[in-house]
Amino acid sequence: MPSMKNKRFNLLLIAAVTLVAAWSLWPTWRDYSLSKELNSIKSAPDSLKYALSNRDEIENARKKSLKLGLDLKGGMHLVMEVDQVDLFEQKAWNKDAKFTAIMKSVRTKASQSDAKVLDILSGEFKNENMRLSRYFYDIRNSDQEIVKKLEKESEDALNRAKEIIRNRIDQYGVAEPVITTQGSRKLIIELPGVSDENRVRNLLKGTAKLEFKLLRDPEILVRTLDRLNTYLVQNSAAQQSVPAPAASPSPSVSSQLKAPAAAPARPVSTKPLYDVIGVFQNGTAYTTERSRDFVISLLHRSDIQALLPQDTELLLAAKPETGKNGEKLFPIYLVRKTPELTGGVITEAKATFGSQGVQPEVLMAMNSEGTSKWARITGANIGKRIAIVLDGAVYSAPVVQSKIPSGNSVINGIESLEEAKDLEIVLKAGALPAPVRIIEERSVGPSLGADYIRAGVLSLAWAFFAVSVFMLVYYKKAGIAADIALVLNIVIVLSVLAGFNASLSLPGIAGIVLTIGMAVDANVLIYERIREELDSGKALKSAIEVGYDRAFSSILDSHVTTLSAAFLLYTYGIGPIQGFALTLMIGTAASLFTSIVVTKEIFSFLLGRNLMTQKSFG
Amino acid sequence: MRIFHKTSFDFIRFRKIAYGFSLVILASGLISLAVKGLNYGIDFRGGSEVLIRFEKNIDVSTVRSVLDVAGVSGSLKQYGLDRSFLFSTVFNGETNDLKSLVSHALNDRLKDNHHEIVRIDAVGPSIASDLKWSAVKALMASLLAILLYVGFRFELKFAAAGVVAIFHDILTVLGLFSILGGLFDFMPLEMDQSIIAAFLTIAGYSITDTVVVYDRIRERIRGQKPSDYERIFNESMNQTLSRTIITSGTVLLSVLVLFIFAGPAIRGFAFAVFIGILIGTYSSIFVAAPLVYDWLRLSKSPVHLRGSKVS
Repeated sequence: MPSMKNKRFNLLLIAAVTLVAAWSLWPTWRDYSLSKELNSIKSAPDSLKYALSNRDEIENARKKSLKLGLDLKGGMHLVMEVDQVDLFEQKAWNKDAKFTAIMKSVRTKASQSDAKVLDILSGEFKNENMRLSRYFYDIRNSDQEIVKKLEKESEDALNRAKEIIRNRIDQYGVAEPVITTQGSRKLIIELPGVSDENRVRNLLKGTAKLEFKLLRDPEILVRTLDRLNTYLVQNSAAQQSVPAPAASPSPSVSSQLKAPAAAPARPVSTKPLYDVIGVFQNGTAYTTERSRDFVISLLHRSDIQALLPQDTELLLAAKPETGKNGEKLFPIYLVRKTPELTGGVITEAKATFGSQGVQPEVLMAMNSEGTSKWARITGANIGKRIAIVLDGAVYSAPVVQSKIPSGNSVINGIESLEEAKDLEIVLKAGALPAPVRIIEERSVGPSLGADYIRAGVLSLAWAFFAVSVFMLVYYKKAGIAADIALVLNIVIVLSVLAGFNASLSLPGIAGIVLTIGMAVDANVLIYERIREELDSGKALKSAIEVGYDRAFSSILDSHVTTLSAAFLLYTYGIGPIQGFALTLMIGTAASLFTSIVVTKEIFSFLLGRNLMTQKSFG
Repeated sequence: MRIFHKTSFDFIRFRKIAYGFSLVILASGLISLAVKGLNYGIDFRGGSEVLIRFEKNIDVSTVRSVLDVAGVSGSLKQYGLDRSFLFSTVFNGETNDLKSLVSHALNDRLKDNHHEIVRIDAVGPSIASDLKWSAVKALMASLLAILLYVGFRFELKFAAAGVVAIFHDILTVLGLFSILGGLFDFMPLEMDQSIIAAFLTIAGYSITDTVVVYDRIRERIRGQKPSDYERIFNESMNQTLSRTIITSGTVLLSVLVLFIFAGPAIRGFAFAVFIGILIGTYSSIFVAAPLVYDWLRLSKSPVHLRGSKVS
């Protein structure tokens, strides 16, 4: 028998929980009613006036209201991976063929499993019976020390990547983005309400590594291409592995070229390289849009790279130039591999239109160190060309006219102002420490989100209706108590979500629907027990007491098992499943309170007013 | 209103038939798993999926041939019953390209039936293996947790039989997924994360029903002779039959609502939970309790139960 004091405590507790829940859900309600009012106003000036006069309240309500998940609101969920293999490669020195081979196998292994890249790396070195210090840090370091240093390095890289990506997203302008790190190499990015997914993907994945590289003389480029061609001829004669002739430029293009490719004779062409690359009289090289992918893969081959002059590389232009007949040509540049200057010195970037007012470009300013270096570099290379390279693609390669003392530079060769704006964003945010890749993506369009909301609300309504009507029919008056408890339960779940700034997703709604069915279970166990006690001849009041008492152990057991399953699901689950686990956990925990404490208080209230009989339990 | 009021079914006597029934169901599921296997969703298999919705009715074969002609390789199938199609292909990390490829192909060749790409999911291979592992870990951990908890609250025999019943329930659903997978347009029954959530829900709930029966047996078995066990088990099960069925009934009701109203994204989950709870109710009466009975009967040692209250 509960004492009066105990009873008063329960009533206070119920009142407090209800008040807190209502307080936590109030902004959600305000947000809903305010936006409804806003939508009901027909004329645009009036609605603007209303929005302005109630601005504080609208913003406040929106900030504190129950958030909808990405699937309901529409948006993108991305998992990005920092390329640790690339990062470690950057850290290594003395790189040789052996090292490249090891890293290649590390890369394959890392892409297939979730094991730590560092573990794979040190495993590979152990297999080869080599010390990490041969390539990393100091020769005197032990493997353990190096692993520790690299670990620190990759941790830093992940955090830096997170900050840079956050900067990019903030600059782009997404309301309430959530960016978190997971494990040692993953970033989870949630972007609600993004409409232009393509642009966001491009914005996120670029490394934004900006480099200023000196162009080599055209004669060297021509000689280098000749050497590559000769190599390819010998090579293909040996291996019969000529590139597909489909990659050859169109006849109209080749007619202007120094070495026009006559219809290449299959299977062996005498000039395989000039089938895909054309060279103008002035010593500039081009490839066509069709051959571009092939040329890129060719330039990535290590045997090709080995044939280039010391400390040089061949780079393609980011954007095509339009040839005489309207075809798209991508210039090819031979540049010094070691950059003269890198993007780290950039302090400011601004997208504008160029001097003619049609070509979009990005103006950049440098810090003092960069400014003095830039002045020295430009001063020493007057008349030469310096390529502006972003993520391995040449944007422009202007001829240095004079020494530039101001630390200003320009990227042009950009197609649209939108692209220039995106460049501005990534340049301001800085370069990523290593490339990042999208390894998981889930995007939901707003129309599907609206469908999900409709489906979710419909399910909630029907489940509540079906279960509460069943309880009323089956348990009569006692069913009312269970139904009141059920309402409170749902309110608690929603208020906890709103209060802790968690969001409600479709799986989350499924969790609530399931909770509706499970929450009344405690009541069923209690009521069945009470019926039993009544059948055995106990008086109503003591039957209720005993019923609650005896049923408690089953209720506890079943709740603990459901809670632990939901908790494990929350711990090991990822993304959408966590939403389900969360609402199920909150709902199950809340039902311990609502189905037991609340219904019991309702009964004692009814009993006190003689409003209950033996028949009240159906 | 009362159903199953004062029943006196001789559950223990029918347990052998129930064992047989369960074994047949489990065996057919396992055979199907071995022969046909499971339909993995992209969560576990990795890949890209594009959900396309058209304005007007269109045949799945028309869309398929349009994509084929455009050279977009992958498979297309009906999704739900809503002029929606799910196009799945390999993962290559370039969602932009995939989207524009599909979009252009459909815009060029199906001009008068406007389409919208409403959802894109892309899961890389490393994520897929990640998800698979965390699913397995979650399942194993939950089974272990339940074993420990029930073992702590009751006794090892009860706990072990309860976990056997959970295995029974999950394997039955898994088998059913294998047998029925891909047979219905409105629910593809693919194994994905949501099905793992369903399994954990089933595990948590299966033991709930079992615990209700156990609880009554524990209450009544204390101090009784082993020769009375059969009667006690039968009476306990009959006494709790009503609550076992009603508690499952309310959950089945809400899961049925999910199945009908919550749309194709949740349908596989709802189906799994529905079947799982149905089987779980059956197994708590016909598998878990009879197993404990047989174990007690064969081991001939008296039970030492924790937590039973003397009233």
